[in-house]
Amino acid sequence: MHLDRQLCQGHGRCYALAPAVYEPDDDGHGLVASDPVPDFYHEAARLGSANCPEDAITVADD
Amino acid sequence: MSINPNEEEQDEPGGLGMGDPESNRNPQRGYKMLRDVSPVVTISGVIPSRENADAHLVGRHADVLSVLRNPEVFSSRFDAVHIGQVRPLIPLQIDPPDHSKYRKLLDPLFAPRRIALLEDRTRSLVAGLVDRVVEDGECNFHDAVAEPLPSTVFLELLGLPVSRAAEFLALKDGIIRPEAETPEQRSEIVDATGAQIYAVLEEVVEQRLAAPQDDFISSFLSAEVDGHQLTSEEVIDICYLFFLAGLDTVTASLDCMMARLAQNPGERRRLVDDPEIISLAVEEMLRWETPVTSVVRVTTQETELSGCPIGANEVVSVMIGSANTDERAWDNPDLVDADRQVNKHLAFGGGVHRCLGSHLARMELRVTLEEWHARIPDYHIPDGVELDYSPSLRQIANLPLAW
Repeated sequence: MHLDRQLCQGHGRCYALAPAVYEPDDDGHGLVASDPVPDFYHEAARLGSANCPEDAITVADD
Repeated sequence: MSINPNEEEQDEPGGLGMGDPESNRNPQRGYKMLRDVSPVVTISGVIPSRENADAHLVGRHADVLSVLRNPEVFSSRFDAVHIGQVRPLIPLQIDPPDHSKYRKLLDPLFAPRRIALLEDRTRSLVAGLVDRVVEDGECNFHDAVAEPLPSTVFLELLGLPVSRAAEFLALKDGIIRPEAETPEQRSEIVDATGAQIYAVLEEVVEQRLAAPQDDFISSFLSAEVDGHQLTSEEVIDICYLFFLAGLDTVTASLDCMMARLAQNPGERRRLVDDPEIISLAVEEMLRWETPVTSVVRVTTQETELSGCPIGANEVVSVMIGSANTDERAWDNPDLVDADRQVNKHLAFGGGVHRCLGSHLARMELRVTLEEWHARIPDYHIPDGVELDYSPSLRQIANLPLAW
Protein backbone atom coordinates (compact mmCIF):
# COMPACT_ATOMS: atom_id res chain seq x y z
CA MET A 1 0.00 0.00 0.00
CA HIS A 2 1.02 3.59 -0.48
CA LEU A 3 0.09 6.80 1.33
CA ASP A 4 1.09 9.78 -0.82
CA ARG A 5 2.43 12.39 1.60
CA GLN A 6 2.18 15.08 -1.09
CA LEU A 7 -1.54 14.50 -1.56
CA CYS A 8 -2.35 14.02 2.14
CA GLN A 9 -3.76 17.22 3.66
CA GLY A 10 -4.32 15.95 7.18
CA HIS A 11 -8.08 15.35 7.14
CA GLY A 12 -7.33 12.49 9.53
CA ARG A 13 -10.03 10.13 8.35
CA CYS A 14 -7.68 7.17 7.81
CA TYR A 15 -6.34 7.03 11.34
CA ALA A 16 -9.74 7.88 12.85
CA LEU A 17 -11.46 4.99 11.06
CA ALA A 18 -8.63 2.45 10.95
CA PRO A 19 -6.21 3.17 13.81
CA ALA A 20 -4.70 -0.32 13.56
CA VAL A 21 -3.26 0.57 10.18
CA TYR A 22 -2.82 4.34 10.16
CA GLU A 23 -1.53 6.84 12.71
CA PRO A 24 -1.16 10.62 12.80
CA ASP A 25 2.18 12.39 12.71
CA ASP A 26 2.75 15.51 14.81
CA ASP A 27 1.09 17.66 12.12
CA GLY A 28 -2.00 15.46 11.98
CA HIS A 29 -1.10 13.98 8.61
CA GLY A 30 -1.47 10.27 8.06
CA LEU A 31 1.23 7.62 8.35
CA VAL A 32 1.03 3.90 7.69
CA ALA A 33 1.56 2.40 11.14
CA SER A 34 2.41 -1.10 10.07
CA ASP A 35 3.84 -1.85 6.65
CA PRO A 36 3.48 -4.44 5.33
CA VAL A 37 -0.10 -4.61 6.53
CA PRO A 38 -0.98 -8.00 8.02
CA ASP A 39 -3.69 -9.89 6.12
CA PHE A 40 -6.25 -9.45 8.87
CA TYR A 41 -5.94 -5.66 8.60
CA HIS A 42 -6.52 -5.44 4.85
CA GLU A 43 -10.16 -4.52 5.29
CA ALA A 44 -9.21 -1.70 7.68
CA ALA A 45 -6.53 -0.51 5.25
CA ARG A 46 -9.13 -0.32 2.50
CA LEU A 47 -11.61 1.48 4.76
CA GLY A 48 -9.02 4.20 5.41
CA SER A 49 -8.17 4.44 1.74
CA ALA A 50 -11.82 4.62 0.64
CA ASN A 51 -12.50 7.46 3.08
CA CYS A 52 -9.57 9.71 2.17
CA PRO A 53 -11.03 12.96 0.76
CA GLU A 54 -7.77 13.58 -1.13
CA ASP A 55 -7.54 10.06 -2.64
CA ALA A 56 -4.03 9.88 -1.21
CA ILE A 57 -4.00 6.20 -0.26
CA THR A 58 -3.78 3.25 -2.61
CA VAL A 59 -4.13 -0.30 -1.38
CA ALA A 60 -3.09 -3.02 -3.77
CA ASP A 61 -5.52 -5.88 -4.35
CA ASP A 62 -4.88 -9.09 -2.44
CA MET B 1 -20.07 34.01 0.33
CA SER B 2 -23.76 34.63 -0.08
CA ILE B 3 -25.57 33.92 -3.27
CA ASN B 4 -28.52 36.18 -3.66
CA PRO B 5 -29.36 36.56 -7.33
CA ASN B 6 -31.42 39.69 -7.70
CA GLU B 7 -34.98 39.53 -8.90
CA GLU B 8 -34.35 40.01 -12.59
CA GLU B 9 -32.26 36.87 -12.55
CA GLN B 10 -34.80 34.57 -10.99
CA ASP B 11 -35.60 32.95 -14.34
CA GLU B 12 -32.00 32.74 -15.48
CA PRO B 13 -29.83 29.69 -14.77
CA GLY B 14 -28.73 31.53 -11.65
CA GLY B 15 -32.29 31.69 -10.37
CA LEU B 16 -31.89 28.53 -8.36
CA GLY B 17 -33.91 29.80 -5.48
CA MET B 18 -30.78 30.08 -3.39
CA GLY B 19 -31.14 32.65 -0.67
CA ASP B 20 -34.86 32.33 0.13
CA PRO B 21 -35.81 30.93 3.56
CA GLU B 22 -36.92 27.53 2.27
CA SER B 23 -33.74 26.91 0.30
CA ASN B 24 -31.66 28.13 3.24
CA ARG B 25 -33.39 25.45 5.33
CA ASN B 26 -33.04 22.75 2.66
CA PRO B 27 -30.40 23.80 0.15
CA GLN B 28 -29.92 20.31 -1.26
CA ARG B 29 -32.65 20.64 -3.91
CA GLY B 30 -31.12 23.87 -5.20
CA TYR B 31 -27.72 22.20 -5.31
CA LYS B 32 -29.16 19.48 -7.53
CA MET B 33 -30.65 22.04 -9.89
CA LEU B 34 -27.29 23.77 -10.03
CA ARG B 35 -25.48 20.54 -10.91
CA ASP B 36 -28.06 19.61 -13.51
CA VAL B 37 -27.95 22.99 -15.30
CA SER B 38 -24.21 22.91 -16.01
CA PRO B 39 -20.86 22.13 -14.39
CA VAL B 40 -20.32 25.89 -14.14
CA VAL B 41 -23.24 28.27 -13.62
CA THR B 42 -22.40 31.94 -13.95
CA ILE B 43 -24.45 34.45 -11.98
CA SER B 44 -23.94 38.05 -12.94
CA GLY B 45 -23.38 40.94 -10.61
CA VAL B 46 -23.37 39.24 -7.23
CA ILE B 47 -19.95 40.00 -5.76
CA PRO B 48 -20.43 43.32 -3.95
CA SER B 49 -16.81 43.56 -2.86
CA ARG B 50 -15.63 43.33 -6.48
CA GLU B 51 -17.80 45.99 -8.09
CA ASN B 52 -20.61 43.48 -8.49
CA ALA B 53 -18.54 41.05 -10.51
CA ASP B 54 -19.92 37.76 -11.82
CA ALA B 55 -19.55 34.53 -9.85
CA HIS B 56 -19.02 31.13 -11.37
CA LEU B 57 -20.76 28.49 -9.28
CA VAL B 58 -19.15 25.05 -9.40
CA GLY B 59 -21.38 22.30 -8.00
CA ARG B 60 -20.28 18.89 -9.21
CA HIS B 61 -18.03 16.85 -6.93
CA ALA B 62 -15.33 16.15 -9.54
CA ASP B 63 -15.09 19.82 -10.54
CA VAL B 64 -15.05 20.96 -6.92
CA LEU B 65 -12.09 18.65 -6.32
CA SER B 66 -10.36 20.01 -9.43
CA VAL B 67 -10.65 23.55 -8.09
CA LEU B 68 -9.61 22.74 -4.52
CA ARG B 69 -6.62 20.70 -5.64
CA ASN B 70 -5.31 23.23 -8.12
CA PRO B 71 -4.34 26.37 -6.16
CA GLU B 72 -2.02 27.58 -8.92
CA VAL B 73 -5.05 28.25 -11.15
CA PHE B 74 -7.77 28.67 -8.53
CA SER B 75 -6.16 30.92 -5.98
CA SER B 76 -7.38 31.72 -2.49
CA ARG B 77 -5.41 35.00 -2.55
CA PHE B 78 -6.19 38.33 -0.89
CA ASP B 79 -8.95 39.44 -3.27
CA ALA B 80 -10.91 36.16 -3.26
CA VAL B 81 -13.03 37.36 -0.37
CA HIS B 82 -13.32 40.73 1.29
CA ILE B 83 -13.96 40.40 4.99
CA GLY B 84 -12.55 43.67 6.21
CA GLN B 85 -8.93 42.64 5.95
CA VAL B 86 -6.24 45.05 4.76
CA ARG B 87 -3.54 42.38 4.32
CA PRO B 88 -3.79 38.75 3.21
CA LEU B 89 -5.13 36.53 5.95
CA ILE B 90 -2.70 33.83 7.04
CA PRO B 91 -2.75 31.05 5.96
CA LEU B 92 -6.03 31.16 3.97
CA GLN B 93 -4.99 33.90 1.55
CA ILE B 94 -1.42 32.75 1.06
CA ASP B 95 -0.86 30.44 -1.88
CA PRO B 96 1.87 27.80 -2.18
CA PRO B 97 4.81 27.74 -1.73
CA ASP B 98 4.70 30.28 1.15
CA HIS B 99 1.48 28.72 2.40
CA SER B 100 3.19 25.54 3.55
CA LYS B 101 5.62 27.46 5.77
CA TYR B 102 2.75 28.82 7.82
CA ARG B 103 0.87 25.52 7.86
CA LYS B 104 4.02 23.80 9.09
CA LEU B 105 3.87 26.11 12.12
CA LEU B 106 0.11 25.93 12.64
CA ASP B 107 -0.78 22.32 11.80
CA PRO B 108 0.80 20.78 14.93
CA LEU B 109 -1.16 23.19 17.14
CA PHE B 110 -4.43 21.90 15.68
CA ALA B 111 -3.45 18.25 15.20
CA PRO B 112 -5.56 15.59 16.93
CA ARG B 113 -2.96 14.99 19.66
CA ARG B 114 -3.06 18.63 20.74
CA ILE B 115 -6.82 18.88 20.39
CA ALA B 116 -7.27 15.83 22.61
CA LEU B 117 -5.74 17.88 25.44
CA LEU B 118 -8.71 20.27 25.20
CA GLU B 119 -11.38 17.60 25.42
CA ASP B 120 -11.84 17.51 29.23
CA ARG B 121 -12.14 21.27 29.44
CA THR B 122 -14.60 21.31 26.51
CA ARG B 123 -16.65 18.56 28.14
CA SER B 124 -16.96 20.45 31.39
CA LEU B 125 -17.94 23.63 29.54
CA VAL B 126 -20.70 21.78 27.67
CA ALA B 127 -21.87 20.09 30.86
CA GLY B 128 -22.12 23.47 32.58
CA LEU B 129 -24.08 25.00 29.71
CA VAL B 130 -26.54 22.11 29.46
CA ASP B 131 -26.97 21.82 33.24
CA ARG B 132 -27.96 25.47 33.29
CA VAL B 133 -31.03 24.80 31.14
CA VAL B 134 -31.90 21.17 31.84
CA GLU B 135 -34.49 21.98 34.52
CA ASP B 136 -36.12 24.67 32.38
CA GLY B 137 -37.55 22.20 29.87
CA GLU B 138 -36.76 24.54 27.02
CA CYS B 139 -34.05 26.80 25.62
CA ASN B 140 -32.89 28.60 22.54
CA PHE B 141 -30.10 26.16 21.72
CA HIS B 142 -28.20 28.74 19.70
CA ASP B 143 -27.95 31.14 22.65
CA ALA B 144 -27.63 28.49 25.35
CA VAL B 145 -24.96 26.25 23.80
CA ALA B 146 -24.12 26.72 20.12
CA GLU B 147 -22.71 30.21 20.51
CA PRO B 148 -21.11 30.25 23.98
CA LEU B 149 -19.37 26.87 23.74
CA PRO B 150 -17.14 27.32 20.69
CA SER B 151 -16.46 30.96 21.43
CA THR B 152 -15.29 30.15 24.96
CA VAL B 153 -13.10 27.27 23.75
CA PHE B 154 -11.63 29.41 21.02
CA LEU B 155 -11.03 32.58 23.04
CA GLU B 156 -9.31 30.58 25.80
CA LEU B 157 -7.13 28.84 23.25
CA LEU B 158 -6.12 31.97 21.43
CA GLY B 159 -5.67 34.02 24.58
CA LEU B 160 -8.38 36.64 24.13
CA PRO B 161 -10.42 37.58 27.23
CA VAL B 162 -13.58 35.45 27.45
CA SER B 163 -15.18 38.28 29.45
CA ARG B 164 -15.34 40.24 26.17
CA ALA B 165 -17.00 37.42 24.22
CA ALA B 166 -20.20 39.39 23.49
CA GLU B 167 -18.19 42.26 22.03
CA PHE B 168 -16.13 39.88 19.87
CA LEU B 169 -19.22 38.03 18.64
CA ALA B 170 -20.78 41.33 17.58
CA LEU B 171 -17.62 42.22 15.66
CA LYS B 172 -17.60 38.81 13.96
CA ASP B 173 -21.25 39.28 12.93
CA GLY B 174 -20.41 42.74 11.60
CA ILE B 175 -18.17 41.02 9.06
CA ILE B 176 -20.14 37.87 8.31
CA ARG B 177 -23.70 39.21 8.56
CA PRO B 178 -23.51 42.99 8.12
CA GLU B 179 -26.93 44.62 8.38
CA ALA B 180 -26.65 46.49 5.11
CA GLU B 181 -29.15 47.45 2.42
CA THR B 182 -26.67 48.13 -0.37
CA PRO B 183 -23.25 46.83 -1.43
CA GLU B 184 -21.76 50.22 -0.51
CA GLN B 185 -23.22 50.04 2.99
CA ARG B 186 -22.00 46.50 3.35
CA SER B 187 -18.51 47.51 2.37
CA GLU B 188 -18.52 50.42 4.83
CA ILE B 189 -19.72 48.27 7.73
CA VAL B 190 -17.26 45.48 6.95
CA ASP B 191 -14.30 47.86 6.69
CA ALA B 192 -15.21 49.70 9.90
CA THR B 193 -15.68 46.40 11.75
CA GLY B 194 -12.41 45.08 10.36
CA ALA B 195 -10.61 48.13 11.72
CA GLN B 196 -12.06 47.41 15.17
CA ILE B 197 -10.91 43.79 15.01
CA TYR B 198 -7.41 44.89 14.07
CA ALA B 199 -7.44 47.30 17.01
CA VAL B 200 -8.43 44.55 19.44
CA LEU B 201 -5.73 42.23 18.13
CA GLU B 202 -3.06 44.92 18.08
CA GLU B 203 -3.81 45.73 21.71
CA VAL B 204 -3.57 42.07 22.79
CA VAL B 205 -0.39 41.48 20.77
CA GLU B 206 1.23 44.48 22.48
CA GLN B 207 0.27 43.09 25.87
CA ARG B 208 1.61 39.62 25.06
CA LEU B 209 4.86 41.03 23.72
CA ALA B 210 5.33 42.77 27.05
CA ALA B 211 4.16 39.82 29.15
CA PRO B 212 3.84 36.45 27.40
CA GLN B 213 1.22 34.00 28.65
CA ASP B 214 0.42 30.36 28.00
CA ASP B 215 -1.71 30.96 24.92
CA PHE B 216 -1.54 30.81 21.12
CA ILE B 217 -0.87 34.50 20.60
CA SER B 218 2.16 34.36 22.88
CA SER B 219 3.49 31.22 21.21
CA PHE B 220 3.00 32.75 17.74
CA LEU B 221 5.00 35.78 18.79
CA SER B 222 7.99 33.62 19.62
CA ALA B 223 7.55 31.25 16.65
CA GLU B 224 9.84 31.11 13.66
CA VAL B 225 8.81 30.53 10.07
CA ASP B 226 11.45 29.86 7.48
CA GLY B 227 14.22 31.10 9.75
CA HIS B 228 12.64 34.37 10.80
CA GLN B 229 10.55 35.22 13.81
CA LEU B 230 6.92 35.98 13.00
CA THR B 231 6.30 39.72 12.95
CA SER B 232 3.49 41.29 14.96
CA GLU B 233 1.68 41.89 11.67
CA GLU B 234 1.90 38.24 10.71
CA VAL B 235 0.58 37.20 14.12
CA ILE B 236 -2.31 39.64 13.74
CA ASP B 237 -3.06 38.33 10.23
CA ILE B 238 -3.25 34.78 11.59
CA CYS B 239 -5.45 35.85 14.50
CA TYR B 240 -7.81 37.90 12.30
CA LEU B 241 -8.59 34.78 10.30
CA PHE B 242 -8.99 32.68 13.45
CA PHE B 243 -11.27 35.33 14.90
CA LEU B 244 -13.74 34.98 12.04
CA ALA B 245 -13.37 31.23 11.49
CA GLY B 246 -13.24 30.27 15.16
CA LEU B 247 -16.25 32.26 16.27
CA ASP B 248 -18.76 31.17 13.68
CA THR B 249 -18.41 27.81 12.00
CA VAL B 250 -18.82 25.43 14.93
CA THR B 251 -21.83 27.45 16.05
CA ALA B 252 -23.42 26.99 12.63
CA SER B 253 -22.60 23.27 12.67
CA LEU B 254 -24.13 22.77 16.12
CA ASP B 255 -27.27 24.65 15.06
CA CYS B 256 -27.67 22.54 11.91
CA MET B 257 -27.08 19.25 13.72
CA MET B 258 -29.39 19.87 16.66
CA ALA B 259 -32.15 21.19 14.39
CA ARG B 260 -31.82 18.03 12.34
CA LEU B 261 -31.82 15.69 15.34
CA ALA B 262 -34.79 17.49 16.91
CA GLN B 263 -36.79 16.81 13.76
CA ASN B 264 -35.57 13.25 13.12
CA PRO B 265 -36.28 11.18 16.24
CA GLY B 266 -35.01 7.98 14.60
CA GLU B 267 -31.56 9.43 14.03
CA ARG B 268 -31.58 10.95 17.50
CA ARG B 269 -32.58 7.66 19.14
CA ARG B 270 -29.57 5.95 17.58
CA LEU B 271 -27.19 8.45 19.16
CA VAL B 272 -28.86 8.09 22.54
CA ASP B 273 -28.85 4.29 22.42
CA ASP B 274 -25.33 4.01 21.05
CA PRO B 275 -23.16 7.06 21.81
CA GLU B 276 -20.26 5.30 20.07
CA ILE B 277 -21.91 6.17 16.76
CA ILE B 278 -21.83 9.92 17.44
CA SER B 279 -18.51 10.57 15.70
CA LEU B 280 -19.77 8.89 12.52
CA ALA B 281 -23.11 10.69 12.79
CA VAL B 282 -21.19 13.97 13.03
CA GLU B 283 -19.41 13.15 9.76
CA GLU B 284 -22.65 12.27 8.04
CA MET B 285 -24.42 15.40 9.24
CA LEU B 286 -21.41 17.48 8.16
CA ARG B 287 -21.84 15.95 4.71
CA TRP B 288 -25.58 16.44 4.43
CA GLU B 289 -25.89 19.81 6.16
CA THR B 290 -22.53 21.25 5.04
CA PRO B 291 -22.85 24.21 7.44
CA VAL B 292 -20.20 26.21 5.53
CA THR B 293 -21.81 25.88 2.12
CA SER B 294 -19.09 27.25 -0.13
CA VAL B 295 -15.57 28.62 -0.41
CA VAL B 296 -14.25 31.16 -2.88
CA ARG B 297 -11.35 31.13 -5.29
CA VAL B 298 -10.06 33.55 -7.95
CA THR B 299 -8.66 32.33 -11.26
CA THR B 300 -5.06 33.31 -11.97
CA GLN B 301 -5.39 32.55 -15.70
CA GLU B 302 -7.94 31.55 -18.32
CA THR B 303 -9.06 28.03 -17.64
CA GLU B 304 -11.94 25.60 -18.01
CA LEU B 305 -13.88 23.11 -15.93
CA SER B 306 -15.60 20.17 -17.62
CA GLY B 307 -15.48 22.08 -20.90
CA CYS B 308 -16.85 25.34 -19.47
CA PRO B 309 -14.47 28.27 -20.06
CA ILE B 310 -13.64 30.63 -17.19
CA GLY B 311 -11.68 33.85 -17.71
CA ALA B 312 -8.69 35.06 -15.73
CA ASN B 313 -9.21 37.01 -12.49
CA GLU B 314 -12.75 35.79 -12.08
CA VAL B 315 -14.51 34.62 -8.95
CA VAL B 316 -15.31 30.94 -8.53
CA SER B 317 -17.74 29.92 -5.83
CA VAL B 318 -16.93 26.36 -4.86
CA MET B 319 -20.20 24.78 -3.71
CA ILE B 320 -18.98 22.15 -1.28
CA GLY B 321 -22.52 21.49 -0.05
CA SER B 322 -23.40 20.51 -3.58
CA ALA B 323 -20.31 18.31 -3.99
CA ASN B 324 -21.30 16.56 -0.76
CA THR B 325 -24.70 15.59 -2.18
CA ASP B 326 -23.74 14.95 -5.82
CA GLU B 327 -25.34 11.75 -7.12
CA ARG B 328 -22.38 11.44 -9.49
CA ALA B 329 -20.10 10.80 -6.52
CA TRP B 330 -22.27 9.31 -3.79
CA ASP B 331 -24.46 6.23 -3.40
CA ASN B 332 -27.87 7.33 -2.11
CA PRO B 333 -26.74 10.91 -1.48
CA ASP B 334 -30.16 11.90 -0.11
CA LEU B 335 -30.04 9.23 2.59
CA VAL B 336 -28.61 10.51 5.88
CA ASP B 337 -26.96 7.38 7.24
CA ALA B 338 -24.37 7.33 10.01
CA ASP B 339 -23.41 3.80 8.92
CA ARG B 340 -22.30 4.99 5.50
CA GLN B 341 -19.11 3.03 4.79
CA VAL B 342 -17.53 5.61 2.53
CA ASN B 343 -17.80 9.26 3.50
CA LYS B 344 -15.22 11.47 1.81
CA HIS B 345 -17.17 14.66 2.44
CA LEU B 346 -15.59 18.03 1.79
CA ALA B 347 -17.31 19.94 4.59
CA PHE B 348 -13.86 21.14 5.73
CA GLY B 349 -12.80 21.90 2.18
CA GLY B 350 -9.88 20.10 0.61
CA GLY B 351 -6.51 20.58 -0.95
CA VAL B 352 -3.85 22.73 0.71
CA HIS B 353 -6.41 24.97 2.44
CA ARG B 354 -8.21 22.14 4.23
CA CYS B 355 -9.77 23.72 7.32
CA LEU B 356 -7.01 24.12 9.88
CA GLY B 357 -9.52 23.83 12.74
CA SER B 358 -11.23 20.67 11.51
CA HIS B 359 -9.97 18.45 14.32
CA LEU B 360 -10.95 21.02 16.95
CA ALA B 361 -14.38 21.36 15.33
CA ARG B 362 -14.91 17.60 15.25
CA MET B 363 -14.02 17.27 18.91
CA GLU B 364 -16.36 20.10 19.94
CA LEU B 365 -19.24 18.70 17.88
CA ARG B 366 -18.83 15.15 19.21
CA VAL B 367 -18.45 16.19 22.85
CA THR B 368 -21.44 18.53 22.67
CA LEU B 369 -23.69 15.84 21.19
CA GLU B 370 -22.46 13.32 23.78
CA GLU B 371 -23.04 15.56 26.78
CA TRP B 372 -26.37 16.96 25.56
CA HIS B 373 -27.91 13.58 24.77
CA ALA B 374 -26.70 12.05 28.03
CA ARG B 375 -28.82 14.69 29.80
CA ILE B 376 -31.62 15.48 27.38
CA PRO B 377 -32.32 12.47 25.16
CA ASP B 378 -35.74 13.59 23.90
CA TYR B 379 -36.52 17.07 22.66
CA HIS B 380 -38.40 18.76 19.86
CA ILE B 381 -38.94 22.06 18.17
CA PRO B 382 -42.18 23.61 19.47
CA ASP B 383 -45.14 23.58 17.08
CA GLY B 384 -45.46 26.50 14.76
CA VAL B 385 -41.78 27.45 14.79
CA GLU B 386 -40.23 27.91 11.37
CA LEU B 387 -36.46 27.80 11.50
CA ASP B 388 -34.60 30.56 9.73
CA TYR B 389 -31.12 29.54 8.53
CA SER B 390 -28.68 32.26 7.56
CA PRO B 391 -27.34 31.78 4.03
CA SER B 392 -23.81 30.56 3.28
CA LEU B 393 -22.84 30.06 6.91
CA ARG B 394 -25.89 28.23 8.14
CA GLN B 395 -26.60 29.52 11.63
CA ILE B 396 -30.07 29.40 13.19
CA ALA B 397 -30.19 32.39 15.53
CA ASN B 398 -33.54 31.27 16.95
CA LEU B 399 -33.46 27.52 17.60
CA PRO B 400 -36.03 26.80 20.31
CA LEU B 401 -35.92 23.29 21.74
CA ALA B 402 -38.34 21.85 24.32
CA TRP B 403 -38.22 18.61 26.33
